[in-house]
Amino acid sequence: MAGVFELLRRLYLTLYNWTVFVGWAQVLFLAVRTLKESGHEHVYNSVEKPLLLAQTAAVLEILHGLVGLVRSPITATLPQIGSRLYVTWGILYSFPEIRTHFLVSSLVISWSITEIIRYSFFGTKEALGFAPSWLMWLRYSTFFLLYPTGISSEVGLIYFALPYIKKSDKYCVRMPNTWNFSFDYFYAAILVLGVYVPGSPHMYSYMLGQRKKALSKSKRE
Amino acid sequence: MKVTVVSRSGRELVKGGLELNDSASVADLQEAIYKRTKKFYPSRQRLTLPLPPGSKDRPIVLNYKKSLKDYCDGNSDNITVVFKDLGPQVSYRTLFFWEYLGPLILYPVFYFFPVYQYFGYKGERVIHPVQTYALCYWCFHYFKRIMETFFVHRFSHATSPLSNVFRNCAYYWTFGSYIAYYLNHPLYTPVSDLQMKIGFGFGLICQVANFYCHILLRNLRTPDGSGGYQIPRGFLFNIVTCANYTTEIYQWLGFTIATQTVAGYAFLVVAAMIMTNWALAKHRRLKKLFDGKDGRPKYPRRWVILPPFL
Repeated sequence: MAGVFELLRRLYLTLYNWTVFVGWAQVLFLAVRTLKESGHEHVYNSVEKPLLLAQTAAVLEILHGLVGLVRSPITATLPQIGSRLYVTWGILYSFPEIRTHFLVSSLVISWSITEIIRYSFFGTKEALGFAPSWLMWLRYSTFFLLYPTGISSEVGLIYFALPYIKKSDKYCVRMPNTWNFSFDYFYAAILVLGVYVPGSPHMYSYMLGQRKKALSKSKRE
Repeated sequence: MKVTVVSRSGRELVKGGLELNDSASVADLQEAIYKRTKKFYPSRQRLTLPLPPGSKDRPIVLNYKKSLKDYCDGNSDNITVVFKDLGPQVSYRTLFFWEYLGPLILYPVFYFFPVYQYFGYKGERVIHPVQTYALCYWCFHYFKRIMETFFVHRFSHATSPLSNVFRNCAYYWTFGSYIAYYLNHPLYTPVSDLQMKIGFGFGLICQVANFYCHILLRNLRTPDGSGGYQIPRGFLFNIVTCANYTTEIYQWLGFTIATQTVAGYAFLVVAAMIMTNWALAKHRRLKKLFDGKDGRPKYPRRWVILPPFL
């Protein structure tokens, strides 16, 4: 009985990882092609559909961690997915004025390369039981460059979107109301920028630790 | 007897070890370590018996009141203890005083001073009666807490790590300001008079009940700090292990029903979660301690913190 569940788990995760892989491969392909043919202002429009789909699918990964389908602690996946969903839906989708910024290109390229490597790594691991060492090396080394480029793009886009956020009054709750509650999306965005200050070194050093663990384990095997 | 003191990595903390009387207590050992290391005062030391490598058990912590002989299982000439630095410590009273002082002082600032003009609200501010009652209730609550800290509580541990001061103060002071901001806001909307009266009335009753719970807990321990953990009895403790937390949660519920702010409800939820964690640990500890064996009483069946849920 346990063997059947294990098989189903691997089948499902293999399917999941490779499906999302295809999504991100599309994003990378479309982004690079649009950059070459039309320019950075048009990148968002060309990648919007696969980007929204692939990035939102990652919510499933929180579920996977919670029900124990995968081993990753949700303390590491939650901030990562949180920031991605915030930038994707809370900034890019909600404030079209920012979509033409050149940082969108660096953002989607950083994200898509990282995710292509990550999903193919896990997709291979679940399907075959192991991943080739070059793929493991890629997964635990490309973050050296892609974390800084990705994070800078995220921070930059949030920062440059601030004037549009302030003007639009979107997602804001004003007083008076019976629940004596208010929410200002502009100040919340500034708070998010503040969280990036301790958050980024934390995520980076987490990956460093994961790298050490993974690469030393493969050496011993 | 000779005492070898090592760090958790195996390194000798006190070169050559310490020579102590056979009748020495753990407290004497702690004093001796402090004398030699100069930096690690006794409340900073956590001393345990060494565990065999690979053992999954939790190490036995040396109790400062016991004599060292109690921990030597055969050889009373020689003992090895493992040392852990708990970091700079402050007394629990200091910790509680600073975390409660914030809400006590910061809340009235929002009530009495024209702070909202800096948030863009110019002009006159009308103060509703409920806002005045809320000020009194809130300040009384934190004043009560400070008084209890100095005159009622008997702590099982004397100290707490210094880092907790920053963490706990951040929690209390931030939430306190967050609630105070909305409660004293010029655009604050009061609830009905009846709802306000019910909320504050219920809250006050629970505060009195909470105080009585604290008195009962205090009487379980002797003034010199011994007494450790006992089975609480009487009043609500007969049905719920952590009746003190229960009454505290209900007290905040009363306040929030009377004042109706999302900030207040958020604080209530977070505080309830934190206290529930504590209650589960306490309930577990008491059940483990009072297992009914070796003449010890068995811990009675009780709710943990919030009947009928937990």
